[in-house]
Amino acid sequence: MSDPVISVRNLQVEFVTRRATLRAIDGVSFDIAKGEVLGVVGESGAGKSVTGAAIIGLIEPPGRISGGEILLNGRRIDNLPPEEMRKIRGRKVAMIFQDPLTSLNPLFRVGEQLVETIRTHLPMNERQARDRAIELLTEVGIPAPEKRIDGYPHEFSGGMRQRVVIALALCAEPDFIVADEPTTALDVSVQAQIISLIKKLGRERGMAVMLVTHDMGVIAETADRVAVMYAGRVAEIGPVRDVVQRPMHPYAKGLMGAIPTLEAATDRLVQIPGSMPRLSSIPRGCAFNPRCGEAFARCFVDQPVPLPVAGRHVACHLYETVETVR
Amino acid sequence: MSPRPYVEVTDLRKVFDVSKPWLNRVIERSPKQFLKAVDGVSFDIKKGETFALVGESGSGKSTVAKMVVGLLGVSGGEVTIDNISMTDPAQRAQRAKLRRKMQMIFQDPYASLNPRWRVDRIIAEPIRAFNVVEGEANIVARVGELLTLVGLHPDDGRKFPHEFSGGQRQRVAIARALASNADFIVCDEPTSALDVSVQAQILNLMRDLQEKFGLTYLFISHNLAVVRHMATRIGVMYLGRLVEVSEAKEMFSHPRHPYTRMLLDAVPDLAMSGRARIPVAGEIPNPINPPSGCTFHPRCPLVNERCRAENPLPINGVACHAVVEGRTLLMPVPA
Repeated sequence: MSDPVISVRNLQVEFVTRRATLRAIDGVSFDIAKGEVLGVVGESGAGKSVTGAAIIGLIEPPGRISGGEILLNGRRIDNLPPEEMRKIRGRKVAMIFQDPLTSLNPLFRVGEQLVETIRTHLPMNERQARDRAIELLTEVGIPAPEKRIDGYPHEFSGGMRQRVVIALALCAEPDFIVADEPTTALDVSVQAQIISLIKKLGRERGMAVMLVTHDMGVIAETADRVAVMYAGRVAEIGPVRDVVQRPMHPYAKGLMGAIPTLEAATDRLVQIPGSMPRLSSIPRGCAFNPRCGEAFARCFVDQPVPLPVAGRHVACHLYETVETVR
Repeated sequence: MSPRPYVEVTDLRKVFDVSKPWLNRVIERSPKQFLKAVDGVSFDIKKGETFALVGESGSGKSTVAKMVVGLLGVSGGEVTIDNISMTDPAQRAQRAKLRRKMQMIFQDPYASLNPRWRVDRIIAEPIRAFNVVEGEANIVARVGELLTLVGLHPDDGRKFPHEFSGGQRQRVAIARALASNADFIVCDEPTSALDVSVQAQILNLMRDLQEKFGLTYLFISHNLAVVRHMATRIGVMYLGRLVEVSEAKEMFSHPRHPYTRMLLDAVPDLAMSGRARIPVAGEIPNPINPPSGCTFHPRCPLVNERCRAENPLPINGVACHAVVEGRTLLMPVPA
C-alpha cells in the first residue's frame, strides 16, 4: 500500500472543565490512503466529530490535543502554530459540514465565496478564479453553473447548497477532506445523490476522505474501510464489507442488529441495553463493559487496544488469543 | 359488512396563505399566494394496526398528522375517529370524550417536555386533566406504573427532563401518551432524533405496547427502513398528495408508483447485496408552484403527455396514469 495521506497515531483530545478534565478521544489511531474513503461511525458522543475537528486543527479551547500525533503526507500537523495551520487548512485539508446553510455566508453570492476561497489558496486573478469556480460547480453537478454562480445561498435547495459546499471544499484541490455528516440534513433521495458525488470525487481526484456519520447505510454505500467508535475509542476498524456484514466487537454487533433494514423483516430489533456513558463517568477497563453481554473479569480492569483479528482490528478482550497478546 | 375503520380520513385538504403583506401586494400588484400543503388525502386505519405515512420533507405528512388529532384546522375534507367527526362543529361534545383516547408523540423529546416540571407532574397532567383516576395516592401509583411500563424506574419521576438522555425522554413522552389510556397514538418521527441503538429500544417498546394494549398508531417517518419495521400499511406522500397506499409487505416487494420505486432505490444498501438500482434524479419542487398534472412528472421516468396535463386519481391505492395504463413495463426492472 502506498504511504497514507493522513495518519493519526494514538490521538488524545481533552476538554478541561471546572470540575474535571474530560477525555473525549482516547488513543485513536488510523491511516487513510490516497483515494480511500474511511467511514467513521458511532452514536452521538462517540467522538467522531471531535476526531475530524482535531485533524483539521479546529479544536477550540477548553479542548486540546493532549497526546498522540497527526501526520499529513508524513509531516506532523498537530503541533503547528495557528498561522501555519491556517495555510494548510483549505489548501491541503478541507471540511464539509452537516448544515449547508450555516457553512455558507448568506450575504454573499456563492460565486464570490468560491472566488475568494480559490484566490486565497491559488495564484489566480479574478477572471481565472471565476472560470475555475464555474468548472467546480459543473463538476459537483449544478445545472447552468454560469447563471447559478451569481445566486445567493438561499436561492439554492438543500441538496444544491450541499453541492456548493462540496465545491467550496474542492477549491484548492486538497489531499484530504473531512465530511462531517454531509447528508444528515438532506432527504433520502437527495442523500443518495450527494453520497455518490462524494464517492466519485474522492476516487477521481485521489483524495483521502474521512466520512463522519451516524448512518451505517451511508457508510456501506460510500466507504472502503470503516471505524466504529465508542466513548472516544475505536472499537473496530476494518474493510467495510467485513465490519458491516460480520462485525466482531460486541458493540459493533449490537449496532448492526439495531438498524432496521429493507432486506430483513424481523419482528424485534437487537437492542443494546442502556446508553453511551457520559465523558465524566467512563467505566474502568473497556468502556462498553456495562452494556456488554459477554463481559468477563478482565473487561472491568484492562482497557483493550485494537489488535488484528480476521483482516481487521478489534479492541476487545474476547478476541485476544495467545499470539495477539504476545 | 365489515366494521367501520377506526380512523377515516376523506379528501383532507390544507391550504396555507403565504401571500406577501397587503401593502406589498398592492404596490407590486402581486396576487395572493396559496400553498396546498395537503391536497385531497384519503386513507383509513383499522383498529390495532399501524398506518405509516412516508415522504420527503415538505410532502405534508406532519400536516396530515396535526389535522388528524385536531392541532390544526382543516381547509376541507373530513376526519372521523371512532365514528365521531373531528371536523364537524355539531359534534363538539362527543369530541371532548374522544380527546383522551388520542395522544401524540413528537419528534424532539427535548422540546416536547416542559423543562421546569418534574417528570411525575408531566405524566400526571393528562391523568388529572381527564380524571382518569381519582385521589392523589392513586395518581402517584399510576404514574409509577406508567414509568415501569416504559422501562424507567418509579423514582425517576422526581427528576427533571434534563437529567435524562434523549431515549429516556422519549420514553417519558410515551408514558405521557399512555397516561390517559389512549388507544390511538399519532407518532410524528418519534425516533428521528435518536441514535440507532436507542431507536431500536424505542421501536421495540412501541411494538410491545401496541401488542399489550391493542394500540392504533399513525406513524409518520421519512425513514423507510423504520417504517418497514413498524407498519402494517403504508401511505406514500409526495407534494401534499398520497401517491400510493399499500400493505407494508406488498409495498416493499412490489412498489407500484414510480416515486415509491425511486424512494426505495434511494435507501442505502446495508446488506451490500449489490441489488441494481435506478439512480435518483431531481429534487422535490417548490410546493407553492407545483408542476401541472401529476406533480411527480418532472422526475418520473414514465412520463407522457397525459401526466403533464391531468392529475391522476388514486385507483386501487395508486395515483399514477402509467400504472393504470400498464406502461410500467417500460421501466427498467432491477435485476
